[in-house]
Amino acid sequence: MNTMDRTDGLLGAYGLTDARDRLLSADAPLAELQERCGGDLPGTLAIPELLALVQQARVMGLKIARAFSAFDGDAEVSGFARIHPLGQDDGGGCEVLVENWQRSPVSPPSAREFAEKLDAIDRATAEVSVRLDARQRLQVVSTRAPDAAAFEGAAFAAPGTVWSELVELSGIAHHQPLHWRLLDGAACRFAGSQRQWRVRLIPLGPDAQNPAGFELLLIADEPLPDTAAPGGAEVDAAETSPARLVGTALTPVLRQPVARIIANAETIRARLAGPLRDEYSEYAGTIASAGQHLAAMLDDLADLEVVETPGFATAREPVDLADAAVRAAGILGVRAQNRDTVLLVEGARGEAIAGAEFRRVLQILINLIGNAIAYSPAATTVTITALAAGEGRVAVTVADEGAGVTQEQAERIFDKGERLGRGSDGNKDGGSGLGLYISRRLAEAMDGSLTVESAPGGGALFRLELPAQ
Amino acid sequence: MGEETMDLAADHAVEAILRDELAREARALVAVVPVLRHLLSTEAQALVSDAILARVRGMILDLAAQLLAVQAGRDPATRGLATSNSSALDPLADALMADEALLAFCHALAAEGLIAQRLQQRHAIDPVLSPLLQELIASEDSAIAGLAMSTLAAQSRFVQGQRRMDLPLTELPPELFHRLIGLAQSDCSDRAALDQLQAGYDEATSRLGLLARLVAAMRRGVVAGLGLDHAGLALFASALAAATRQPRADGVLACHEGQTIRLALMLRAAGLLPAAIERQLLLVDPAASLPRAFAGISAERAAALLANGAAL
Repeated sequence: MNTMDRTDGLLGAYGLTDARDRLLSADAPLAELQERCGGDLPGTLAIPELLALVQQARVMGLKIARAFSAFDGDAEVSGFARIHPLGQDDGGGCEVLVENWQRSPVSPPSAREFAEKLDAIDRATAEVSVRLDARQRLQVVSTRAPDAAAFEGAAFAAPGTVWSELVELSGIAHHQPLHWRLLDGAACRFAGSQRQWRVRLIPLGPDAQNPAGFELLLIADEPLPDTAAPGGAEVDAAETSPARLVGTALTPVLRQPVARIIANAETIRARLAGPLRDEYSEYAGTIASAGQHLAAMLDDLADLEVVETPGFATAREPVDLADAAVRAAGILGVRAQNRDTVLLVEGARGEAIAGAEFRRVLQILINLIGNAIAYSPAATTVTITALAAGEGRVAVTVADEGAGVTQEQAERIFDKGERLGRGSDGNKDGGSGLGLYISRRLAEAMDGSLTVESAPGGGALFRLELPAQ
Repeated sequence: MGEETMDLAADHAVEAILRDELAREARALVAVVPVLRHLLSTEAQALVSDAILARVRGMILDLAAQLLAVQAGRDPATRGLATSNSSALDPLADALMADEALLAFCHALAAEGLIAQRLQQRHAIDPVLSPLLQELIASEDSAIAGLAMSTLAAQSRFVQGQRRMDLPLTELPPELFHRLIGLAQSDCSDRAALDQLQAGYDEATSRLGLLARLVAAMRRGVVAGLGLDHAGLALFASALAAATRQPRADGVLACHEGQTIRLALMLRAAGLLPAAIERQLLLVDPAASLPRAFAGISAERAAALLANGAAL
């Protein structure tokens, strides 16, 4: 898989994308930039210039090499990106190698220029803009947002009122008149709009100390929800429902600090900053693996919340199980190589087509194959077979050559939090014990089933059955 | 009735065709004098000279010959055998010459070759191995040294290629390469050679890719690349392009004698001080002079002027 010459001295960061330009794996700097640009890992590549390059390379099927730069919030990141598109058999994505990774702080613009730029941005994005006289009384109101019609109407009905009487300022206990500087930047709400708005007051006239009037801008914190969105809206609504505490509130906040803990611990473990006693390096390794455990746990908890949301539904599209198996095996290829495990995919494409949601099937397969790699002895074979299972059913099985599962274990293995005693052996893998539970819930949501039995060779054989297309 | 209208329509069609053809021929005649005047006027000043024309034509014919070799299932390097088959070569070359982006790319390469030649004659600036490249080859970082060696080899191939007026397909930027491969795909007897060519393509190992990587590897030291006499034209143009985020072709063409203001503004946008800019201008055009108030132009204003100038 690693066909690129990774010249060590110039190496910055390495990443892998799939056929839909989602970043599947990435070295720490690239992963951090992805997250700082608002993306997830795995998730659609969020670094605009890199995304354009990856799309270009994938469409043309050519290896391309370009300088790129991005802004990560604090500093400008630049480097030289080499994109190598992979064949369909390897997932149809691209290898991304960034050489000469460098991060340089952006010299801050002068305060005045910066303020002017902010004003220009606010003017361009304001959906309500108002002119006020020197005593902050309404003169002219113009709105662009449908939900601000009531505000405009109220202003029209009562010309000459102080603007703050028409809105409900959050976090400001004093009543008007208040010095305008105290109101600039405040949050507010007004009747007719569900959204939270931000107030900008920009003084007009030659003397900023004694303004002749004001420009009042109301900028919404979020765009107006698109009510006309068809189809997938229901799923989205379920995924963003307030009940989902972990996925929507906790995971995004914790992901970055956890990633930083892991990255720093790895730096210490690898002694990148200088020589260190072996014990300390080992401690750092423990911190890093605990951090990875925590990160995986967060992902699992977010998934768990999704599958346990009432009304959770999956899409139904034709999914070629052999193709999904090849992709899953491709994604886990490196991990398998590290343990000298051979991933063997059997079954021809087109023979077992399920009606299910592709990314969920892929998620289940990655979980099953990942388990098989982790829990079977090194240098063994994991066999993935896609087959027709008779009477409108298709199946894909994952068989390993490990110790297998007993009847009693088979009953408990899909329980929430069940790790089958694997937590006691030093916990080097760090699973949350939620993976199989989530996989089974996903399978059931797609009208399928996930079961375990003994493989012919003695190992465990997991069987995912789905309705045929 | 129906037939009559048909005939009438046919007549109209014939006349329309004749009119269009006549207009085209008239345009061709009208264009002769300005083109001649341009070509005959001060040779050195011209961005289009017969030397450039010959090189662009040579490179395009060479590309066409390589495409024919690929279509016939051979390695494009064996293109010499295909040149005899002019019945297929000429239409393909005509099709390529209609591609403006390809023409612009070849023009920039031809101009680069000629400007480098002139810099060598006037100021003894080596077109292949410049002092900066020498320093980079001697770098303690083996990766940078290796990159610089590869660049040296690619640059020497380029200078040779310009003398022979040829251009390997794999030296094209990916957009053009992709378009040309698409052109060759339409009637191709053997896909294997095409697939092999496509799989072997890597922008990072082309000359322009190597130069860009080398410039990126210099990091903050890229300022060292902004001296024509120190870096040589090839590295200079890549460094200028990287520092100003303009296309490299603009950097090359700015080194033409008649484009000194563009060069000055690009260097200013790259953050050079007026005195250093003046030194560079004198290398390009001994008679060049900057407006007195040039020092007052900030790097940002210079970049904005360039961006606006490009839109005109």
